[in-house]
Amino acid sequence: MTSSSPAAAIATATQPQRRSRRGRFEPYLLIAPTVLLVLGLMVVPIVIVIGYSLFDNVVTNQNPQFVGVANYVAILGNPAFWNAVGNTLIFTVISVVIHLLIGIGFALMLNSKLVHGLPRTIFRAIYILPWIFTASVVAVLWRLLLDPSGVINYVLTTIGVLHQAVPWLATPATALISVTVINIWSGYPFFMISLLAGLQGVPSDLYEAARVDGAGLVRQFFSVTLPALRPIVYSMALLDLLWTTQQFTLIWATTGGGPINHTEVVSTFTYKLAFNSYQFSMASTSAVVILVASLFVAIFYVRQQKKASQS
Amino acid sequence: MKARTSRSIGRVLLYIGLSVGAVFAGFPVLWMLSSSFKSNASIFAFPPKLIDGTFSLGAYLSVLTDSVKIGYFVNSYIVAISVVIVTMVIALLAAYVFSRFEFRFKSVIRVVIIGVQAVPPITLLIPFFGIMVGLGLYNTYQGLILTYVVFTLPYAIIMMTAYLDSLPRELDEAARVDGAGSMAVLWRVLVPVSVPGMVSVGLYTFMISWNEYLFALTLTQTDNRRTVPVGIQLLMGQNNYQWNQVMAMSILGSIPVLVLFLIFQRYFIGGLAAGAVKS
Amino acid sequence: MSKEARISRRRGRWVFSAIAVAASAALTLTGCSGGGASSADQKVTLTFSQWWAPEMPKGALQDIVNSFEKEHPNITVKLISAPFASLQSQTISQAASGTLPDIVGLDGSWVNPLYKQGALYNLSDAMKAAKYDDSELASQVGFSGDTYMIPVVNFVYPLFTNDQILAKAGISAPPTTWSEFSADAKKISQSESGVSGWVVPLGTTNPNGVQNDILSWAWASGGTMLSNGKPDLTGNADVSGAVNMVKDLVNSKAVLPGANGLQETDKVTNFVNGRVGMMIDSLAHVTTITQGDPNLKFTVSAQPTKDGYTGTKGMLTASWGIGISAKTKHATQAWQFIQYLMSKDTNSKLSTLANGFPGNKTSTPDFTGADPHFKTAFGIYQKSRPVNEFTGLPAADQLMTSFLTEFQKAVAGQESTPTMLKNVQAQWKKQF
Repeated sequence: MTSSSPAAAIATATQPQRRSRRGRFEPYLLIAPTVLLVLGLMVVPIVIVIGYSLFDNVVTNQNPQFVGVANYVAILGNPAFWNAVGNTLIFTVISVVIHLLIGIGFALMLNSKLVHGLPRTIFRAIYILPWIFTASVVAVLWRLLLDPSGVINYVLTTIGVLHQAVPWLATPATALISVTVINIWSGYPFFMISLLAGLQGVPSDLYEAARVDGAGLVRQFFSVTLPALRPIVYSMALLDLLWTTQQFTLIWATTGGGPINHTEVVSTFTYKLAFNSYQFSMASTSAVVILVASLFVAIFYVRQQKKASQS
Repeated sequence: MKARTSRSIGRVLLYIGLSVGAVFAGFPVLWMLSSSFKSNASIFAFPPKLIDGTFSLGAYLSVLTDSVKIGYFVNSYIVAISVVIVTMVIALLAAYVFSRFEFRFKSVIRVVIIGVQAVPPITLLIPFFGIMVGLGLYNTYQGLILTYVVFTLPYAIIMMTAYLDSLPRELDEAARVDGAGSMAVLWRVLVPVSVPGMVSVGLYTFMISWNEYLFALTLTQTDNRRTVPVGIQLLMGQNNYQWNQVMAMSILGSIPVLVLFLIFQRYFIGGLAAGAVKS
Repeated sequence: MSKEARISRRRGRWVFSAIAVAASAALTLTGCSGGGASSADQKVTLTFSQWWAPEMPKGALQDIVNSFEKEHPNITVKLISAPFASLQSQTISQAASGTLPDIVGLDGSWVNPLYKQGALYNLSDAMKAAKYDDSELASQVGFSGDTYMIPVVNFVYPLFTNDQILAKAGISAPPTTWSEFSADAKKISQSESGVSGWVVPLGTTNPNGVQNDILSWAWASGGTMLSNGKPDLTGNADVSGAVNMVKDLVNSKAVLPGANGLQETDKVTNFVNGRVGMMIDSLAHVTTITQGDPNLKFTVSAQPTKDGYTGTKGMLTASWGIGISAKTKHATQAWQFIQYLMSKDTNSKLSTLANGFPGNKTSTPDFTGADPHFKTAFGIYQKSRPVNEFTGLPAADQLMTSFLTEFQKAVAGQESTPTMLKNVQAQWKKQF
């Protein structure tokens, strides 16, 4: 075992006898429930899905036939799939970046020493509101808000920003941006809360030291806050990336992938394959392609984390 | 003197910023609240008004006087609270291992745990459903709880690992020197100082279990096991839409969550962890 | 089939079941006990999944079940209600994992894949076994000569017109032909700002705007989109006529803005709020309108037909269908329940409560205390031919989605109507 973790090293140094047997098995014991659950309820279904993807059509076809990688060839050669991938990338990257920016901004504001007591509690409560509603209700609500006769258009036309009400979700040019905004709204509190928690872990003496060195607020942010939050920011950006690529309900219930496929993302594309045209094998194939792409992201992340903990 | 002026300017700017953010965050929810008091038709009236002549508490009454709908809330609590407890315990053990130990397969397990989240749940629906039926967990609390534990575990592990990584290792070393075993280090030393992290992970776990719809619907069959999101969706039918009740039920569902958050948010107070480290 | 294919197929299935068994075994060890087996009592409990109960007055469907149970003391029917929007994916998933309830509520757009899954019981067999005379049934849906779904309640889609809005635009009576309809829609849109002539939902979340608001025009005028059960869109005068009319109305801004994002429910909410003068909508929404605005005066009439058409009018119909799970252990009892629902009096009661029309030809809806529009509509219904060509088609939702997407392109001027229909035809053919 090439241990570089100081804790493990210390432990080995101080208690050589006790660690020898129990210690060696301990990590496996502690990780066992996780491995068992993830293996049984995530990996197994995924393996079944991979199996599906190698057949001509499962579920609706009572006698599916093995077709090898034919589904993969078909899906990778399908321009509709790549259109969905493109939209997913736009949707995801914008969502994650803005989630991060809003999350940090709001977390810093809510953590500021200049606001305290009741106002802080009230603001904190308001700021997590978007998080506590189920996605289908968020979709219903935003359809109502963004409707041509809805309140957003009413306000914008009344104050003169717009001449005419815009059907935001139905116009090809604005549909993707609109669903992205909805997703940003419903997802940022997650970043905010995690960062707010992370900010509590930044030792206050670091700020004092920086202040003594004459650092302004901006310098303090970049030289103290950001480095301290880095592991959390990395982890959240990764998770948000993986989750946003799968955002389904919000898009499905607001635009259904339209108009003219302008908001068609991989998740709606896959859903349509599964439950509109009942091509479960093809839907599984699409899922596996996403899985493989995500595994690369995961490997990159784990390597990065390893490097960070070793340095 | 100068310091004080710049401080009050800072405070004014901060309040402006907070208010702008609050409009972005809160206005849609305010509109939801306003809709829950309107009639089904006037929700869509033009020009839109915050309060109109149809103001009534009828939607709330019809939700609160319906024992089936109250049952959905009870089910949601049972499931969500159980998931938070189970997930937190399992995730803390795993995060501790990832953060403080080196062992074989560590990287592989991490990659798998992260990677499995990337499969669209809709494609997992059929095989997952098959397994749950095979296990006899169809239409049970245990089935739903197990499902959400699996869904929330990866996030909880990743975030808890990140939090534990950010805690100085001198903490465990000191305890080790005093003769503490691994479990003592985790529960007596690390857990008390990672409360803010645990609160945020716990909130997330609660939120996922509270708001999840697809598997809640698929894995349950009878009203005595169904959760709030399914109940809300049942109000949006084929021809019959109870828009105001949808909004009212969402608002009612959000209040306890908000209260819960307000109780726990006091843990988000600067310097808590830092102080603990010093002592 | 080649030997090789057969072997690989068998191996594939073996792999699936092996994985499933291994997974179940592994997880059972973690302390989860299996489900209990049913007791060998004489009494039978049937499960019935449907989306009907939430659509009807509270407890109404349960009352019907109770009266059935009174007549059949050995049978208990347990209602399982699910949201309509999700029931299709639920039913397919249940069928795939063998947990389909004994009796299943069915929609015409997803009966086909369930039949292909082998999930549905052959109702012709059930009827034969029960010596049931099916001449009372208004319609049956089936494949290769056998019945798999019976429409229990039919919902018709007439033309709704807002009397006040029409009067303001100087229109004295609801339109009866395509050209009158077009002219009226445009007139209304020009007469008053904030009011549109017609509402056409072209959103793809639920793509049924295709059947309700585009192809219904062709069907009303005796047109068809199929020939010998296969798609027949290219060079189809009725279909291209309907497409052209709707396209023209969208492009001349005679319809509610944002059509590409609208869904079926948006029709009635906009109609109640006086933003549209006309809509083709489910008659079931009469209650929504009268509850939403008791003072709104509106008229229900037949969907306008092609100029010069004199044949029997087609009337768009959507149904609450019913079927039996192929895996049920109680097919006889399940059929008894269906037969009860289809019996003259029960069917009349059920359809009245649902604001629809009976699936039993001899039943008449009970109009006492009902909104007078129902009676008007029933008069139109009796003179028309109920039609919905998507019922029972393979991948009906996908057919509608691809039609809509191409239609949106045509409206945006990206392609002409003939090109659009040619593209749709090509995409549809893949599904048949």
